[in-house]
Amino acid sequence: MAAAPQTVEELTRAAPRAPWLAAILNFIRRRPLGALGAALILVMVAAAIGAGALAPYDPLANDYAAMISPPNAAHWLGTDAYGRDVLSRILYGSRTALMVGLGASMIGATFGSLIGVASAYFGGRVDLTVQRIMDVFFAFPVIILALTVVAVLGTGAGNVILAIATPMVPRCARVVRSSALAVREMPYIDAARASGFANRRIILRHMLPNVMAPILIMATAFLGEAILLEASLSFIGLGVQEPTAAWGLMLRGAAVEFAETAPWMAIFPGLAISLAVFGFNLFGDSLRDALDPRLRTQ
Amino acid sequence: MKLLWSSLAILASAMLVIPAQAQQPRHGGELIFPVPSEPPSYDGHREETFGLIHPIAPFYNTLLRVDPFDRTGTKPAPSLAQSWTVSKDGKTYTFKLHKGVKFHDGSEMTSKDVKASYDKIIFPPPGVGSSRKGQYADVEKVEAPDAYTVVFHLKNPSGSFIASLLSPYNFIYKADILAKDPHWYEKNIMGTGPFIFVEHVKGSHVVGRRNPNYWDKGKPYLDGFRAIFMNSSAAEVAAIRGERAHIQFRGFSPKDRDNLVAALGNKITVDESPWDCILLGAINHEKKPFDDPRVRRALTLALDRYEGSKALSQIAIVKEVAGVQVPGTPFATPPDELAKLAGYWHDAEKSRAEARRLLKEAGVPEGFSFTFKNRGIPMPYEPLGVWMIDQWRRVGLNVKQEVIEAAAYFGVIRKGDFEVAMDFQCGYIVEPDLDMYKFLSSDRNPANYGRYKDPVLDELYDKQSRSTNVAERKKLVREFEKRVLDEQAHYFMTLQWHRIVPHSSKVHGWTITPSHYLNNTLDTVWLSE
Amino acid sequence: MGLYIVKRLLAMIPTLFGVAVLIFVLLRVVPGDVVEARYLTQGSQFQSQELMNQERAKLGLDQPIWKQFTTWMTGILHLDFGLSMWTGSPITEEIKLRFALSLQLAIMASLFAQCLAIPLGILAAVKQDTWVDYAVRIFSIAGLATPSFWLGILMILTMLIVFHWVPPMVFTPLWVDPWQNLQQLIWPALAVGYRYSAVGTRMMRSAMLEVLREDYIRTARAKGLWLKLILTRHALKNAILPVLTVMSLEFAFLLGGLVVTEQVFNLNGLGMLFVQTIAHRDYTMTQALVMLVATFFLFVNFFVDIAYAWIDPRIRYR
Repeated sequence: MAAAPQTVEELTRAAPRAPWLAAILNFIRRRPLGALGAALILVMVAAAIGAGALAPYDPLANDYAAMISPPNAAHWLGTDAYGRDVLSRILYGSRTALMVGLGASMIGATFGSLIGVASAYFGGRVDLTVQRIMDVFFAFPVIILALTVVAVLGTGAGNVILAIATPMVPRCARVVRSSALAVREMPYIDAARASGFANRRIILRHMLPNVMAPILIMATAFLGEAILLEASLSFIGLGVQEPTAAWGLMLRGAAVEFAETAPWMAIFPGLAISLAVFGFNLFGDSLRDALDPRLRTQ
Repeated sequence: MKLLWSSLAILASAMLVIPAQAQQPRHGGELIFPVPSEPPSYDGHREETFGLIHPIAPFYNTLLRVDPFDRTGTKPAPSLAQSWTVSKDGKTYTFKLHKGVKFHDGSEMTSKDVKASYDKIIFPPPGVGSSRKGQYADVEKVEAPDAYTVVFHLKNPSGSFIASLLSPYNFIYKADILAKDPHWYEKNIMGTGPFIFVEHVKGSHVVGRRNPNYWDKGKPYLDGFRAIFMNSSAAEVAAIRGERAHIQFRGFSPKDRDNLVAALGNKITVDESPWDCILLGAINHEKKPFDDPRVRRALTLALDRYEGSKALSQIAIVKEVAGVQVPGTPFATPPDELAKLAGYWHDAEKSRAEARRLLKEAGVPEGFSFTFKNRGIPMPYEPLGVWMIDQWRRVGLNVKQEVIEAAAYFGVIRKGDFEVAMDFQCGYIVEPDLDMYKFLSSDRNPANYGRYKDPVLDELYDKQSRSTNVAERKKLVREFEKRVLDEQAHYFMTLQWHRIVPHSSKVHGWTITPSHYLNNTLDTVWLSE
Repeated sequence: MGLYIVKRLLAMIPTLFGVAVLIFVLLRVVPGDVVEARYLTQGSQFQSQELMNQERAKLGLDQPIWKQFTTWMTGILHLDFGLSMWTGSPITEEIKLRFALSLQLAIMASLFAQCLAIPLGILAAVKQDTWVDYAVRIFSIAGLATPSFWLGILMILTMLIVFHWVPPMVFTPLWVDPWQNLQQLIWPALAVGYRYSAVGTRMMRSAMLEVLREDYIRTARAKGLWLKLILTRHALKNAILPVLTVMSLEFAFLLGGLVVTEQVFNLNGLGMLFVQTIAHRDYTMTQALVMLVATFFLFVNFFVDIAYAWIDPRIRYR
């Protein structure tokens, strides 16, 4: 243990009743980028939860008298082509982004992990077949697979979540499988099998918890990707539909057409998307650094 | 001597007068225009997309054409037929053809070619697709008694038969080729038109060059044309703005027009016209509560079309408030009379109050929710959808929008799997027979997605179709309109599309019409320096 | 070595077959077909069920599904990819130009990504946990986070407003007019390349960090010789290998995956074609496209695997 004076340690000594504060400060000091990412995520979550209270206007209310107005006192970020307040739509849009992002990421990570772990556990023929099937899905570029699923299911938020989750499953499965393969060689797994525990129990109780680290990293990375993918799909008209507030939707049509004379319509939603995905990526990056022992600084 | 001086004087004054006349067309130059859609095949009888007309129509002629200088796009003019007569009973139309018209392979076009082409359109052989067959149900047979005469025999007199011959899709093909292979024209191009086919590079462009032996002497003025396929309107606008293209024949959005004018000043000329395209609301009469005419009337009363027109015309390609006919055309209802129909009242508050009252009377609760199905095409479906949902909210209807991908859309709507849905109608010519056909009872017209039967409406349609007296026809059209939009509110119209064509000021000889399928033969177009 | 190559090649076959089955089934599940897309979408007042059925029979759509599949499969085995259902032209003809464009764009974007990722990754590793490291990581993650279509819009807008210049809108192949071609493709290549460099930068950084932990490097560093050693000895070689692997895999994804970028820059590539063919319900064309992209992807993977096996013989015997 280093003897060099640490501000955090001094703080901890000074405020023993606030260990959580010490932990946070420590985190900020050691991983500033991760802290920045976490801050951005928190802002987004706060916006999503508090949209109802924070938004000055109804995101769906058209106001033709105030069409395409620049940022002013009444509308801090301006209005769009139907007179809808951009700020309100961005706040409510974070709800859509989080819902789709979390939904797709969780579904993708859950199914992907289960498949990956089970495949690693059973090994042999099962493993080979599952790998082949995953390879088939892998061979489709992400957006093409998502587009096809949308074509089958239709547009709309719920279908978009499934469409985005679909390409995520094989990617998660592959990563989790390699971690799970290492876990499978652990002696206590053999012991569990010898004791006659059911396969399902071993997978869920013993293997899965040990691969949580890569799963968590994957899920965080997926969240960012999912938000981007949703924005792309909405942008080309195959994602969430009007009049719902969604960031990708806000970038369509009039935002591009009027970009020269009314840039606020395109800049703010694009900024929102970038900051949100940026936050998730930064945080995920730091998470990966933290959980991967080889990369710690000396 | 006096004679010499007076002749010189006359000559001098003539020379002063000539510059005051319109510019003389200049020969030469290649017209370049982007086309947003590529033709699936080259056969005009089979396809329905303007993506065929824009690049391919210059290679062909039709029997008759719409007068290329008529802004309403309704006046018939001679093309391959130089004149025509109608029999007293209105059942026989005789056309006299130009002599000496040559196909691009050098052979002469005669009446047998016209007959073969129209036989293919009206009585297609098995396995051959003809999209407009239904339009000619009244035709009994087509005859070619001599080399330069074609006769159409109708079963009943019709006020719109000539209009049906003006279709820009009715290319005249060579009879010998059709006899050998009726599918030949799907993959090949060979006509009598002002331009000769040079090449078509898939995904890229179509090129045509001037036909030196064109039958209309002196035309075409252009040396050739190049149609470039571009997928996004942003690219098309950029091409015109960067002066890499001269004109786009379909239409741009109001903002694109403003950007172009701001960037190019008087190097750009803007032509505008109401468009013969409109989005209308199909109401499924088989789903409650839409079987109740009061509910349907409430839907149309809720829409403040005048405010909508003012606002949406700034961001979308819609503008005019219209009934069943394009405003400004011969059979359109004048605005003050139109304002008497439900949904067209100038007093929006009164209209909304009436809508609420009708809904209450029909037993529809406040906050009643239904799903509006819209088609997945951004312009102008999206802005109209957003507008309509907002207008319905103001009368207490909570409407959700479900957007269905364009290719799957009509399959869903035809099945009747909707409550209220966006329908769409585009025509090549403004003609009541064509524009009102949609509203006929669904057992007569499968393209009527509203699923209703209205014999009164059918009768009104037939009466106006048979009538050859223009004044009487107008009256019947008004009655039809009142019944379909107001009394029964079977369908409701949104706003008429508005065609905006900003083009290089070098382009002359092209007149805008309500139809983006007309005036694409390019024989009258010329480029100044 | 030869046996390993054969084994890997054979392993591709069931995967390709799986892709074929999947896309075939998915397309048939999608509502609507090419006949409806052609005849019901133009707003025409007249529709004929009999015409539509006729067209369906011509395209073979009235046959039982399994028969349609076997017809298609036998065609592929004879290297006959069939005709597009929408235009009736041979599919190879339709795809040619678009494939050239997409391939060129993928190559250019990859090259730019690597030019960016490798030096930046090394820099970040060497200056770990300093503000240089943070700046590089922020820069590269910003690339990942920014939607490429938004970046594209901003790029075109900037060029328009500041330089009054728009890139050419018609594709000229590289061998016809290289200057015109590059003028059009450089911008999407930059936008896409920036995005994809992020993955490479991260990998390069972590690989480099591992190398920097080696004892001999640490000794050399202490002695002050580290820079030369790193850049000239096998250290860099070892670090670069996984990075190149990852970037080659990313390259494989670029071929069909640039749907939105192509739309923003109006590029007539495979991504745009895919959206169009799905909209037209052109089954044969969509199937061919997906098979093309999947095959390309699997082959790139294959070459990377072979390269690895050649370098590390242990892998061949697994």
